[in-house]
Order: sequence, then structure tokens, then C-alpha cells
Amino acid sequence: MTAFAQRLGSMRKNAVGTGASVPVVLFLIAAAAFLVIGSLVSNIFAQQTVAGLAQGAIFGSLALALVLIYRATEVINFAQGEMAMATTYIAYQLTLWGLSYWLAFFLTLPIAFLLGMAVQVVLIRPVQQSIIAVVIITVGMFILIDGLVTWIWGADLKFMKAPFGNTVYHAGGVAFSRQDIGVLAVSVFSVILLWLLFQFTKVGLAMRAAALRPAAASLVGVRVNWMLAMGWGLASVLGAVAGLMTEPTQFLQPTMMQAILLYAFAAAVLGGLESPAGAVVGGLSLGVFLNLIGQYIGFATPELRLPIAFAVLLLVLLVKPTGLFGRKQVRRV
Amino acid sequence: MGMKGRLLAVLAGVAIVAGIAVTAAFGAHKSDPGISASTITIGGTFPLTGPASLYKTIPAAEKAYFDYINDHGGINGRKIDFKIVDDAYDPSKTVPLTQQLVEQDKVFAVYGSLGTAPNLAIWDYLNQKKVPHVLLATGDSYWGFSAKKYPYTIGFQPDYPGETKIYGQYINANLKGAKIGVLYQNDSYGKNYYAGLRVGLGTNKSSIVSAQPYDLSAGNVTQQILALKASGADTLVILATPTPTIQALVTSTKVGWTPANVFINNVSAVGTFIKLAAANGAKVDGAISAGAYVDASVPAETNWPGVKLAKQIVAQYAPSLDVTNSLTIYGLANAWTMAYGLKNAGKTPTRAGLMKALHNLDPKKAKNPFLFPGVKLQTGLHDNFPLEQEVLIRWGGGATGYWTPFGTLYSKIR
Amino acid sequence: MKFIPAAVAAIVVAILPFFLSGYHEGLAVYVAIYFVAILGLNILTGYTGQISIGHGGFMAIGGYTTALLSHYEHWNLILTLPASLGITFLVGILVGIPALRLSGVYLALATFGFAVSVPQLPLKFSKFLGGSNGIHADHSVTHLWLYVVSWSCAGIAFVLAWLLLRGRTGRAFRAVRDSEVAAASSGVALPIYKTLAFGVSGAFAGVAGSVLVLATNGFAQPSEFGVLVSLQILIGAAVAGLGSLWGVVVGGVFIGLLPSVSASVPLIGSSHGQDVVFGLIVILVMLLLPNGVAGLLRRFEPLVKTAIKPDR
Repeated sequence: MTAFAQRLGSMRKNAVGTGASVPVVLFLIAAAAFLVIGSLVSNIFAQQTVAGLAQGAIFGSLALALVLIYRATEVINFAQGEMAMATTYIAYQLTLWGLSYWLAFFLTLPIAFLLGMAVQVVLIRPVQQSIIAVVIITVGMFILIDGLVTWIWGADLKFMKAPFGNTVYHAGGVAFSRQDIGVLAVSVFSVILLWLLFQFTKVGLAMRAAALRPAAASLVGVRVNWMLAMGWGLASVLGAVAGLMTEPTQFLQPTMMQAILLYAFAAAVLGGLESPAGAVVGGLSLGVFLNLIGQYIGFATPELRLPIAFAVLLLVLLVKPTGLFGRKQVRRV
Repeated sequence: MGMKGRLLAVLAGVAIVAGIAVTAAFGAHKSDPGISASTITIGGTFPLTGPASLYKTIPAAEKAYFDYINDHGGINGRKIDFKIVDDAYDPSKTVPLTQQLVEQDKVFAVYGSLGTAPNLAIWDYLNQKKVPHVLLATGDSYWGFSAKKYPYTIGFQPDYPGETKIYGQYINANLKGAKIGVLYQNDSYGKNYYAGLRVGLGTNKSSIVSAQPYDLSAGNVTQQILALKASGADTLVILATPTPTIQALVTSTKVGWTPANVFINNVSAVGTFIKLAAANGAKVDGAISAGAYVDASVPAETNWPGVKLAKQIVAQYAPSLDVTNSLTIYGLANAWTMAYGLKNAGKTPTRAGLMKALHNLDPKKAKNPFLFPGVKLQTGLHDNFPLEQEVLIRWGGGATGYWTPFGTLYSKIR
Repeated sequence: MKFIPAAVAAIVVAILPFFLSGYHEGLAVYVAIYFVAILGLNILTGYTGQISIGHGGFMAIGGYTTALLSHYEHWNLILTLPASLGITFLVGILVGIPALRLSGVYLALATFGFAVSVPQLPLKFSKFLGGSNGIHADHSVTHLWLYVVSWSCAGIAFVLAWLLLRGRTGRAFRAVRDSEVAAASSGVALPIYKTLAFGVSGAFAGVAGSVLVLATNGFAQPSEFGVLVSLQILIGAAVAGLGSLWGVVVGGVFIGLLPSVSASVPLIGSSHGQDVVFGLIVILVMLLLPNGVAGLLRRFEPLVKTAIKPDR
């Protein structure tokens, strides 16, 4: 047992830490300062920043889910957004059966966890040796889930009760909706919980070990396969949170997460795919950045939002090929 | 086997196919495709899945109307067989599916196909094949303007620019000094609407203080609503598809902006959506839109024959549909027009006959019960827009409310 | 001996129009389109190991090239195909240069960004590119014309790929895939071959896009080149398996026909059956053949060889 702990302890040094370098941290501090000053100077700047943060928090949660899966299976899960969407529909169904919003919310999370695990065990594990096969299976799931949800619930817009009410607060000339604040809080809170789980629990440690050093982990008695499945489960839970937090602004529709998934891809890569903190920072900065350039730069018309997001991604990758928070790694090819 | 050999083989194939076609053409020519002694087969493409799939109500209502007609003697004794196929609003699917309808299922006419881009993609093909391409569910102006070049195509509903022209005229007459903020979708749909609004405002165009386009890929319109708020606009004109419309209504309350006047384009002004927006905190009372059809949710219209008939048909043939949904009524009104066209396309309907009937709609005879009283169904030599009148409607009653028509009928909006 | 399968395939393609209805000829055109596109992706991924989920972007550029040249310049439609080949080759090279710095998932997602960005451009530059309603070639063509042209393209593409891959270039490509370090140290100019592969691959996809536009009655519209197109090519390439030209034929048939096949599977009371069936089949095929048809062929190769040459 002590040997186990020691080994994991040495692994911890390896795995923990954001991986951000000094220039990146300085850059982020400067960006934050810019946002604060801008918000004090201009109301519309402040409003766009707040709205961008709320949207960015959702990008960040879904990006974080992608990162979890990438760490567990080394693939990008194309079905992440649709899994999030499907679990949101499950929560919706629970409210239809008479549960209150928050009861449905918290009941959906374990359901999402089990579904995520089931996906890994039934569909991913049998082919996990072939990365391409896994990716294609997630693409197949994307199409399948979309079809199933449309079949069961239909494609027309559905609504759930507003979880945070419709109150609006005013501070100076800036309006803050309780909903935006709530979305931000829930997303950040779930990220912190996840971080605590990874950092301070034995299960979290074992999961990290299974993802980073499967052979070594199984030597010290970690059940690698189950840990990987739990990774999928947790990713699915985060996806559910992202879906449920998207619902108040985008409402329920089978396509609700498709655009968000694209931004989450960009956010995850910006942050460096291996780094949970990077995913969250990537999501938040992308949300704010897109809103601000939309407001202030005439050329950046809405149809260029996606191209700009990916152009930023490409620029960052050209400078740092493993993302802002990524460590230089030598991987097996 | 080289390229040359293959080409030769294919060329030989062409010759044979051509031979067969010629023989067939000179053979006994009885009736147009899709017409048998007991049936008329028609078909159309609709988004049953994908982002635009909320419109699947329309073909469902149309089918219900045809079922009703079939149970009441059909079209001169023939029953209508209506094939609904799903193109998910993707033109690259619309094309093969329409070819399947025409070449495989041998439909008499392509009827009611939904969406501007999908219809543009099959426009040439159907006119070359001389297959009727009729009563399209899109409000673009192409269909009406191009009747000379495309004699087999005709639209149905009032066109988009015509509708916003009315809003412009209304603002000029009743909302002097309004500062207008426009939210529009960044495609031809939104831009068409926006152009019409500017025409309607005329010299008063300068009262548009901000016009914000949005892209569907953004997922929400928060950024645009904030920009409109900052522009100081007090009149919001929403020219969007349903989801962004609801988002715009809900978001503007959330960011603390309550414009004095709100206009919502007809496509998105479906009662269900407005109610949902209201339930989510949006202030919708007093919002203005326009329509050309009866509305089963308005108490004053309960006893109108069109509403009664709609209720009867929905209850009997499509109980899962909501008769108060304006898309349902739209489907019924459109299907009525098709049935009328078929009835007047000859004893044994011909494709040319159908086109002639639809290009010569006489409002004295073509009394469509699902249209708002006074709205004429009319086409003629120089007029290929079947509907060109609308009435303004105003929302009242919040989350349990409905649209009430007010003012006079606007004519010649085209 | 080696040419027998190719000859058989060519004969089948040439005589099929005698037996197919116009509609089925139309379906066969989609098979040819996806065959060419998947072949392009296979050259890139299967032979140089660079992953792309961006081939829908090349298809869009190729398709718009055809529509624009026909719409504004009234080019002969056949002549637009080499033009689109050339332009997408150049674009492929341009995409390939930054791709040199990236690998694996990062490259995959960067190319995916390319695929989702390209269809946004017609909306931005709507005056010239026609906006959401697209741009229209100045005339449209018949099923048979399309059939002949699309399968000729497929045949030419197949031969080109075969010539390219069996020679020096092919050896260099494979060396890059198997080990970049080893390839570089044995004198293969890595950057040149890697960008070249991107160019060739993009050019194939571009031609496929041109034919797709012609098959859509000459209309190039942003919604034709959505995310799903890139994913479908990826699915096709995976079904084909990497590094086998024959697998690509199966991949093309799979992606070209599956949508209409799954649409015709009756699922009670549902129009959404087609997505459900499509998704299920993709998942099942991948579970059964994780290495695609190429993997299957490799498994049977020894058997076939002994069957053909029993005396050895």
C-alpha cells in the first residue's frame, strides 16, 4: 500500500500543475487587467464581457469534458455535445414527470455518469486500440443520438423552467441577469469540484494514473479499464452540466450543442487538450474575445465568428503546437 | 479496358436509351405521370429532421387536408397520394430526393417543398422536365418574379419584403420619431426582410439607428441584443427564424432593455413561441406582426367557417397537431390551394392544366376558407404572387395570450 | 494478373448504365464523388499519416470554383474540373504548410476548423459568392452526363493515385508515415513530401466537390458543405481502412449509398429512422472492422495468395 502511494505520489508531480509557462501567465494577467479597465470605462464593454464570460463558461465545461476523454482515451469525442444534449433531454423528461428543476438536475448527473461509463464499456473499449475506429464510433454516436432524441422528443423547441429566475440586477448602467451569474457559478463550481476530486481523492489519483501511465498503474493495482470508464462517466456529467446551463439561453433542441461543440473544440485545443485548467481558461477567453470583437471590429461580422475562433486556434498552435497550457511531450506515434 | 472502351460502351448505352425514349414518346400517350384512374401522386421535400424541423407541422397539416379531401370524394374521384420526404433543409439532399420523386415515384407534381435554398436547387431541373413545382413554402420573391423563365414554378405566401414594407409604413404613420434597431439573420432570408423594411420606411430610413446581423452558428443573439441596447433604439424589429426570435425577446429583458415597440416577422410569430418567450420572462404584450390566415387561438374568430373546418380536420385526421399553431393553418391553406388547382387542372389532370389553373386564380371562385377574410387568392397574366395582402396583428395576454388582428388590410404589398 | 480486378471494375462501371434507371445512375454518381474524396483523404492519412477532418472544406472550394467559373465566365463545365483540381491543389499546399508544425489530434482539429470556416465565407462575401442561396452554374446536366464524367474522374483519380503511390513518391510517403525520423535521415525531404501529400489530397477532394455541385443541379450553396460532409469522408476512409486503394471502393459505396439505404429502412412511425439506422450501422461496422476493409483484406491476403498460386 505504501508502495502504491509512493508511486502515485511521484506520478502526481508529473501530472499536476497547469503547465502554463511564465509568458502565458503574464499574458493572461494582462488580458484580465484589460477587461477590468475596459469594463470600468464603458458600459457596453462590461455587458459584452459579462455575456461573453457566461457563454465562455459553457464552452469551458464542454471543453473540459473533451479534455477528460482525451486524457482517458486519446481521442476527440465528436459525440460529446450530443451526449450533453441527450442528458439535458433526460432532465427535461424528469421535470415533465413532476420533479422540480434542481431535483431533476441532480438526478440527471448520476444518470449521465452511468451512461458515459456504459458508452466506454460497450462501444469504446472493444476497439480502443484503434484510435481512428474510436473516433468514427463517436461520429456514429453523434448521428445516432441525434436521430434517437429527435425520434423520442421531436425537434421542436422545448423549454424548462428558468433555473435562476428572470431577475435582473443593475450596477451602474450595467445589467446583470441572475441567470448569467448562475450559469457562470454552476460551471465554475463544477470545474472546482472536479479539480478537488482529481487532486485530493484516491479515485482521482487512480484515474489520473490510469490515463497517464496505464501499464504502471495496473502494476500497482489500479483497475485501469474501470478508471478509464469513469473518465468517460465524469466527462458525461460535465457535458450534462454544460447542456443544462445552455438550455436557459438556447432552449432545448436536438441541435442545441452542435455549434457549442465546435467552440469547445477550439477552447480545448487553445488550452492544450491535456490541461483541464487550460480548457476552462480557453473557453472563457474565447467567449469574451468573440463578443468583444463582434462589438468593436466592423469586419468581424457574425458569419466570421467560427472562422475567427479557429484562426486564433491556428495562430496559438503555430506558436505553441501543444496549446497555451500544454507541456512539450514526446508521445508514441 | 481503357478509357476509350468505356466511353464507347457508355455511348452505345446512350444510343439505346435514346432509342427506347423515342419509342416510348411515340407510343400510346394516355396521361401525365402520377395520374392513375384512382389516384393523383404528388410529393415534396420538407425538413423533418435537423435544425429547421419544427416546420414538419406544415406537411403534416397538408396531409391531413388531403386525407379529408380523399374522404369527401377526392379530386374528381381520384384520391391524392401525398409523399413527404425529408431533406433536412439540405439542398444537396433535396436534389436526389426530388429526382427520386420525379423519376422513381413518378409524381405528378412537386408540391409545397420547403425552404428557399432547397427550392433554388431543384428549380432548373423541374422546369426542364416540365414538372409542376408549385406552392413552395418560402417567402422569397424569386418565384413570383421569374414566372416567364420558370413557367412550372409558383410560390404561395406573401413575400418577405412585402411584409416588412408594411412594418415600415406602419412605423412612418404611427410611431413618429421611433429609433429603430433591427436584428436580422445574415442570409438572404434576413436580408430580404431588411431590404423590405427600408423600402417601407422610405425617406425615414435614417431612423434605423442600428442593424445587427447574426449567424446561426453563434447559437445565441446576446451580443447583438447588447449592441442594439447600446445604440439607444426604442423600437426592435426582429427579422429572424424562430429560435433566435425567442432568444432575442428573452435576452432583451435579461439585459434590462425593454424597447417600447417590438415587431416580429410572421415566420417566427407562431403563438406557441411567443407564449414560451413570455413564460421565460420576455415582455411580449403589444408586439406587432402580420398575417394572412385565420387564427384558431383568437376568441373572436372561433365561429369563422375556416377555423371550424380547421378544428374538424385536425381533430379527425391529425389529432397530434395543434390547431392554434399558425403553421397548421398555413399547411391547410396551402393544401386547399393545391386541391383547388388540381380540381381545375382538367377532368384528367394534366401538368400544363395544373399550371394554368394556378396561374389564373380568380378570387371570386378560389375562396380559401383558411385565409383572413378579405385576403384574396389571385394570380393572372402579370401577377404570379398568389397572396399579396396582410393584416397587422398585435399580441396581448402574455404567456397565455394570442394575436389579435387590428387595423385595415394592407393590399398590394408587393 | 494484377490488372484483372481493375479491368473487371471498369467493365462493370461501363455497362451499369444499361441496367440502371436515371435515378440509380444519380445514386452511382454519389458513390463516384465519395470515392474520389475518400481516395484523397486516404492518400494523406493512409500514406503519410497526417490526419485531416477538413476535406469538406476542399470540396467546398472545388465546388465553388466550378460554379463561379461557369456562372461568371461561362466556362465549359468539363474544363472547370481541371481548374478546380489546380486551385484546390494550391489551397492544399497552403493548408499543408502550417500543418507541418502540427500532428495527431491537433492537426485533426485544425483541419476541422478549416472545414467549418470555409462554408462561412460565402455568407461574408455574399455579393460575389452568392450568400446563403449560393451560386449557380449557367446550365445543368443529365444523369448520364454526370455518370460518365463522375466515373471518368474516379477512374483517372484511381490511376493517378496508383501511379503516384507505386513510384518514388509513394515510397517517400510511406517512409514518412512509418517513421518521420527514419525518413528524414534516409534523405526524404519531409516538408516537401508532407505538403505535397496535402496538395494532392486536397485536389482530389476539390474535384469531388466540383462533381457534387454538378450533381446538385449546378448549385454551390454553403449548406451543401456542412460539417457532416467532412465527417462522412472520414467515416468512408475509416471503413475503407488506411493504405488500401481497393478498400476505398468499398468506402465510397458505403458513404454514397448508406444515406439512401438507411432512409428506406422502415422504422415504425418515424422519419428519424434514417439517422438512427445510419448511426447504428457506422458504429457496428467499426466494431466489427476496426481496421476497415483494408484490415480485412490484409487478413485474407495470405489465403488469396495461396489460392492463386497453389504451387508456391
